[in-house]
Amino acid sequence: MYRWFVRFQNMDRRWIFLGMAIAILLPMLSPSSASFSIDRPVRDIYEKVESLPPGSTVYISADFDPGSRPELEPFYRAVLHQLFGRDIKVVAGTLWASAPPLVLPILQEVAESHGKVYGTDWCFLGFKDGKELAIKAIGENIPKTFPTDFYQTPIEELPVAAGFKQLKDFNLLILVSAGFPGIKAYVLQVQGQYDLKMVGATTAVSGPDYIPYYKAGQLLGLSAGMPGSAQYEKLVFLDAGTCSGFEKTFLNSESCVRAGHTWVKRPPKVMPERLLGIEALSVLNLGHLFIVGLIILGNLAFFVTRPKGVE
Amino acid sequence: MRTTLPLVITFIVGMIMLGEAFIPHWRYRVISENMFEWGLILAAAAFLLGLINLVQVNLPKVLRRETDWGYKAVMLVALVATLIVGFAGGADRLNNGEAYKWVFDFVFIPLNATMFALLAFYIASAAFRAFRARNIEATVLLVAAIVVMIGRVPIGEALSERLPTLVNWLMEVPNTAARRAIFVGAALGAIATGIRIILGIERSHLGGD
Amino acid sequence: MPDFTSMDVLGAWLSIFLTLCILSFLFEDNPIYKLGEHLFLGVSIGYSVVEIYYGVFKPNLIDKLFDREAWQAADGWNAADTERLFLVVPLILTLLLFTKFHRKYGWLARLPVAFVIAAYAGVKLTGEARAHLMTGIQQSMPNLKEAWAQNLAEGRETTLRVWGENGWTDRVVTGTCLDGDTWYQGFWCWSNDGAGVFSAVVLVTGLIACLLHFYFSAPHNRVMRGVSRFGILILMLSFGASFGYTVMGRISLAIGRAQEMLGLDKSAELVAARNPKLATLLCLGFIILFLGIWKKRGGGGDPDDGGGGSPKTKDDLPG
Repeated sequence: MYRWFVRFQNMDRRWIFLGMAIAILLPMLSPSSASFSIDRPVRDIYEKVESLPPGSTVYISADFDPGSRPELEPFYRAVLHQLFGRDIKVVAGTLWASAPPLVLPILQEVAESHGKVYGTDWCFLGFKDGKELAIKAIGENIPKTFPTDFYQTPIEELPVAAGFKQLKDFNLLILVSAGFPGIKAYVLQVQGQYDLKMVGATTAVSGPDYIPYYKAGQLLGLSAGMPGSAQYEKLVFLDAGTCSGFEKTFLNSESCVRAGHTWVKRPPKVMPERLLGIEALSVLNLGHLFIVGLIILGNLAFFVTRPKGVE
Repeated sequence: MRTTLPLVITFIVGMIMLGEAFIPHWRYRVISENMFEWGLILAAAAFLLGLINLVQVNLPKVLRRETDWGYKAVMLVALVATLIVGFAGGADRLNNGEAYKWVFDFVFIPLNATMFALLAFYIASAAFRAFRARNIEATVLLVAAIVVMIGRVPIGEALSERLPTLVNWLMEVPNTAARRAIFVGAALGAIATGIRIILGIERSHLGGD
Repeated sequence: MPDFTSMDVLGAWLSIFLTLCILSFLFEDNPIYKLGEHLFLGVSIGYSVVEIYYGVFKPNLIDKLFDREAWQAADGWNAADTERLFLVVPLILTLLLFTKFHRKYGWLARLPVAFVIAAYAGVKLTGEARAHLMTGIQQSMPNLKEAWAQNLAEGRETTLRVWGENGWTDRVVTGTCLDGDTWYQGFWCWSNDGAGVFSAVVLVTGLIACLLHFYFSAPHNRVMRGVSRFGILILMLSFGASFGYTVMGRISLAIGRAQEMLGLDKSAELVAARNPKLATLLCLGFIILFLGIWKKRGGGGDPDDGGGGSPKTKDDLPG
């Protein structure tokens, strides 16, 4: 037993890599659905967006790259479907150089599926370098910072963006952020100064860092990692059922529709073919169990094999 | 002159940026807005400097056929090719059918995403090799990590409906307390460093004479 | 068989090949991984330069400064023209940045560097002070009466005497806890993620304990050591939670790649056209063959260089 634990502790780490690969691939080859509840910070984002009246305009800062795509793209798609489904206008920008080729096609695809017109219902202002200075500049004067949109059209010629001088002019700011610059920089540079209403989605790695902002009210809602994205997909696409009293009374009346004697959630106008966040969540089950198992076995081996009286 | 002029610029620009948070007068805002725009442009220019440095370092190695020159040649060719398709595409570079978009979708995305995906395997290896409950503190860390890992996925909720609540409490109370303490310490450090830079006490960013 | 005359199919197969190139690093650092790595470097820098040009230089400097129509407009000299003229300043500073490469005039590059560093120092200073110091500490101070009243059973009303703009006033707070009438209501509420007096006290004492732990200027006597110990425990809880989230984040990234390789992230028609599973199998076979031939020809060095093995016995461990 002792020798087995010694060999186990010293095994080639490529066996661990293989185990991890199996833990990821196996649930994908035999998919299953798992039920999960919605966390309060994620629900707060949903309810904040639902409470916006149709015709409102939101600013989305989509700051993620292919490296963080699996965690953030499901949320980004879901929130765009929610916004366009409720006839809310979208002005988007980004602070990451590798974001535009990723962010714009998704925005285009979702907007077109809802029949939205570029320039009237949505626009993409493009990338702006400068990190905190860029955020300050956007917060202070958008037309000066973005004199043209991504397609080099002057911003005055875009009805959806004309008339918005500062970030505080928007009804809501949605930050889809994979790191720096992102949510933290927005909170530090503009949220307090202009008292902005902001909600955010971030990667799991950054989630623990931004929860204090949610607790302090600097963020009105927060989605962290793939579970957050999966929960948001569920809220937007799947969470059918009766409306609660709160939803009927306080959210915009378009969220709930009459069905006989009850009020039920308005079904989504466009249903995507795949809900990648929800599909991925069941895979996380086995991945996490694998790592927990490794930690427990590793510690067991450590305690069995360590000499007495030595830490 | 070589040191004084940069320090004077540091002081003036720093004070204008500091004042921007407190002075709402429109004339001051005009000045600060222009400063922001100039800062954006200079930050972007600094990136170009890095590009020139990269070519300056690697091109001679390729021409002299030094070790791994083939890989460096691949890097430079990829760089030039991306620049060509990018500037050729212009404002329409992200339209369907454009080479720039093709390279991003089928070269950049898999390479970038997989670089990060490697971390999943290394974190498994690191968790197995290094995560040991040697003392009370390490045990607390380990238990918190396991609770979060199990509680954040559907299996945790299936095990106990209290587990997700415990995870949320961990994030919203002890984690918030610890992060805020770290933020306060970091904020005090950033304030001290910022003041030192603006007043010219800290001069390392100017380099040597 | 997929139609390889289609750029889309070709691209999809290339994408899977490049993914497996990078993943081959898990076996060992090898030429095929190095190829992918250098390709990535070149392409990513190229993308950044293109986006920086179209995102910053063109709209904010070149188009504004060299806008002939704006300069020749018949509306006389106005504020916009003055602003446009002042763009000469960042243009000159940008050019000065490139004097870095000149031996004699390289010191001029300090001027734009000083500008940028000072700008960032200034905005960071105020941002940190406002968001982290002021707001963070303010929000950490517990309102125990309110924490109690809000976490009583749902619908239960409590009248609190609060100090406001008009002096002492009465405010009615309604309980929001869905646990029902428990003996610990007000202290702890499961449905509100443990909110209540207990959590508020833990938050503020944890914050103070962590701050005191970092305060090394005062001697750590017995009381301070005890407080510091509590602070460390709070920090360990936080770091443990961080590690759990980090694991979750990393595995998510690997899941994303696996979804693409198995064709689980695209529509059925696209998957049928591209056949990603076949691509994965063939590319994997090719890479395994390549690595086998490369190893046989003496490729690879230290097995711990990259993927690789581990010390076989305790004697192999350093120290």
